[in-house]
Amino acid sequence: ISVQDGLAADFRVLTKTLYDLSKALGSNVVRGSPLKELVIENFDEEQIWQQLELQNNAVLDFFKKSIARDASDEDLCLFSDPEENSSSAEAGSDRELEEDIMEVETKEKDVYTKDKTKAKEKKSKPKENKLQKYSDEDSDVDFDIEELEQQTKIAKETTLKKIQKRSVVDDKFFKLAEMEAFLEDVEKEDVGKEEEEEDIDYFEDILSDDDDDEEEELENTDLKPVKSSRDLTYKDFFDPVDDHDGSVTSTVEDGQEEDEDNITGNEHEESMSEAEEVDEIPTENIGSKEASKKVTFTLPDDSEIEDSIIMQSGKSIDHSEIKSSFEKRQEKMSAKIRNLEEELLEEKPWQLKGEVSGQKRPENSLLEETLLFDHAVRMAPVITEETTLQLEDIIKQRILDEAWDDVVPKEKPKEEAFEYKKRITLDHEKSKLSLAEIYEQEYLKLNQQKTEEEENPEHKEIQEMMDSLFLKLDALCNFHFIPKPPVPEVKIVSNLPAVSMEEVAPVAFSDAALLAPEEIKEKNKAGDVKTDAEKTPTDKKRERRKKKLRKRMKLREKERRQKLLEKMKPEQGTKLSKKAAAAKLKKLAKEGKASLLKDEGKDKVLKSSQAFFSQLQDQVKMQIKDATQQKKKQQKERNISVQKLKL
Amino acid sequence: APRQGGGETRRVPVPANRYTPLKENWMKIFTPVVEHLQLQIRFNLKTRNVEIKTCQETKDIGALTKAADFVKAFVLGFQVEDALALIRLDDLFLESFEVTDVKPLKGDHLSRAIGRIAGKGGKTKFTIENVTRTRIVLADTKIHILGSFQNIKMARTAICNLILGNPPSKVYGNIRAVASRAAERF
Repeated sequence: ISVQDGLAADFRVLTKTLYDLSKALGSNVVRGSPLKELVIENFDEEQIWQQLELQNNAVLDFFKKSIARDASDEDLCLFSDPEENSSSAEAGSDRELEEDIMEVETKEKDVYTKDKTKAKEKKSKPKENKLQKYSDEDSDVDFDIEELEQQTKIAKETTLKKIQKRSVVDDKFFKLAEMEAFLEDVEKEDVGKEEEEEDIDYFEDILSDDDDDEEEELENTDLKPVKSSRDLTYKDFFDPVDDHDGSVTSTVEDGQEEDEDNITGNEHEESMSEAEEVDEIPTENIGSKEASKKVTFTLPDDSEIEDSIIMQSGKSIDHSEIKSSFEKRQEKMSAKIRNLEEELLEEKPWQLKGEVSGQKRPENSLLEETLLFDHAVRMAPVITEETTLQLEDIIKQRILDEAWDDVVPKEKPKEEAFEYKKRITLDHEKSKLSLAEIYEQEYLKLNQQKTEEEENPEHKEIQEMMDSLFLKLDALCNFHFIPKPPVPEVKIVSNLPAVSMEEVAPVAFSDAALLAPEEIKEKNKAGDVKTDAEKTPTDKKRERRKKKLRKRMKLREKERRQKLLEKMKPEQGTKLSKKAAAAKLKKLAKEGKASLLKDEGKDKVLKSSQAFFSQLQDQVKMQIKDATQQKKKQQKERNISVQKLKL
Repeated sequence: APRQGGGETRRVPVPANRYTPLKENWMKIFTPVVEHLQLQIRFNLKTRNVEIKTCQETKDIGALTKAADFVKAFVLGFQVEDALALIRLDDLFLESFEVTDVKPLKGDHLSRAIGRIAGKGGKTKFTIENVTRTRIVLADTKIHILGSFQNIKMARTAICNLILGNPPSKVYGNIRAVASRAAERF
């Protein structure tokens, strides 16, 4: 960085002229330094600065006093609230202003000594001792500023006249400086007086101030009542289009300089405020800012005044008891808890009560509820004009196509026994093909069937089409009439004797007439029926075996039935059972009414009934003989047991 | 997949009565095993075993089982062409049972039963084979059936009926009915 000599010289001349001018014009009101003009020839920058400092210090003192006086002056008050501490507040606010200005200046020095020439027009004293303090904190808070910058756009430059310097962040709606000022106030409320004092300590030394700003401070003219949030209009938010442009007085350069100063200068305040910020504060700030904004935006010209007023209004909140942030939070929490408890203790609304019948809820309350329920039955289709038209279209189309939904009578496929058996022929020879080949053939057959079915219909179609085409072509190219080829007629040949066909009277004939006897009734497995003479011994034996089998089955059936009967109805069952008979016989034998015959195997008598009865006859004859001879009945009749006789 | 680890082997013992048929049909046996299944096969003269082994060219590990079954079928008495079906088709099985498993028969009854199964000139056996599409080997009291699962069942039922004493005509009727029903399904 090097001094640009040409520019430097120009600046010095400019500074001198300004200084002289100000001295000439404003010497009555403001008593500045004893120097009547700024001497620049052969003077160092340092020396020029010192001259300016002299002037500015004096002026600053004057302005301080005047501000204090004006603040205490009740005629100038803009707010209806009584401001008891307004003077102190003002003093504080003044100090703050001066602090800001100081910061700004120091920052300026920082910035511009680097970039531009040291001879600076407006800002005066460097404060190197303060620089270090601010610079440290600046770096910490840098990002905040940048965020803010990004969020807000530089819509228009705010006027120089504001006490709070314009920042890059400011736009029509938002003034960073104002916000910070307010934050400062609220912070003081919360933090406590010690910190307030600490704050104040930092900014003890008051630096030079802008002449313009101090003058504008005095212009407390117009007052506007505070608007409620419901009465907001466009005017409140946005400056009227033309007015604002006119208010910009300073040169662009200056504005830019100031913006940058503001940014850097306000960083410190922000850091202070944000560090101890409670969540509630920003909302409050915004709210109060808005309230204050009502005042600002409607009167862009008087914006410079409002800042001081903001200070005053901000200070008024201090009157209420100062509660710590924790206390406030606790209060809110307890309020919430109280609300919830009340809610819980109250009776629940009917919607939450489970099963609610009609009596328990207000009338027609369900109509207001949206209900979900399942439909058990499918809803009937809604008949609209469209549906009827669709149906009619379908019906018309069907009629044209003649696609009736007639019922097709089902036919039971009757399988004749003969044909059924014909299907599998028995081959008694050893098969010529090996097993593998058999399976192979089967597999091929299976696959071929599929392909055959696919081809055939297409072939048929093609054949038909070709036939018809050739027919037409032939008819066209030949002059002679060629009749159509005879279509094979389907002739029904019935396997009936001519007699029955020719007969007029309807004769009911059955299948029997058409089929062979074997096809009607199966042949006897045993072959032809034989007489006893024709039967071979195997046949006879076979018959006997069959007979015995039949008997066996019958007997088994009977026994089974008996058992079942016994189980189901015990009394009935026991009447005819074997066990019962045996028991009875025993009883009789005991009693002596019946006697059992023992089978010794000698007698032929017990083997057949014929033998038995013939013997009996002989016996009787003998007896009669005896009886006639002796009339003795020596022989007792033998008891015949049922068991012994094999009947 | 190539063989993993050591090569696997199977051994099929050959009874003396099958030794000569094995020698005669050796070409027909080892060709499909080596060419189609990519296995190594040899007949160990000392132990009288046919040994089959996998090698590096073997692609399918199931081939070893197939080859072993093929050789076993031949050894049991089936023809080479019939046994070959085992290699070509996956779902063929081999079932063996004894006549005395069905019904305890002794002496003449046993012989008669076997005679019933065989029929005159092998007629009955061939009929069963043709109708059920199986192959049957009747070795004294042992019966071996080769075919697919359903067919084996049909043949087995028929043979059991014969053992139990049913006349062949009856058995024909039954198997015909069953076979036609089975064929209908497909």
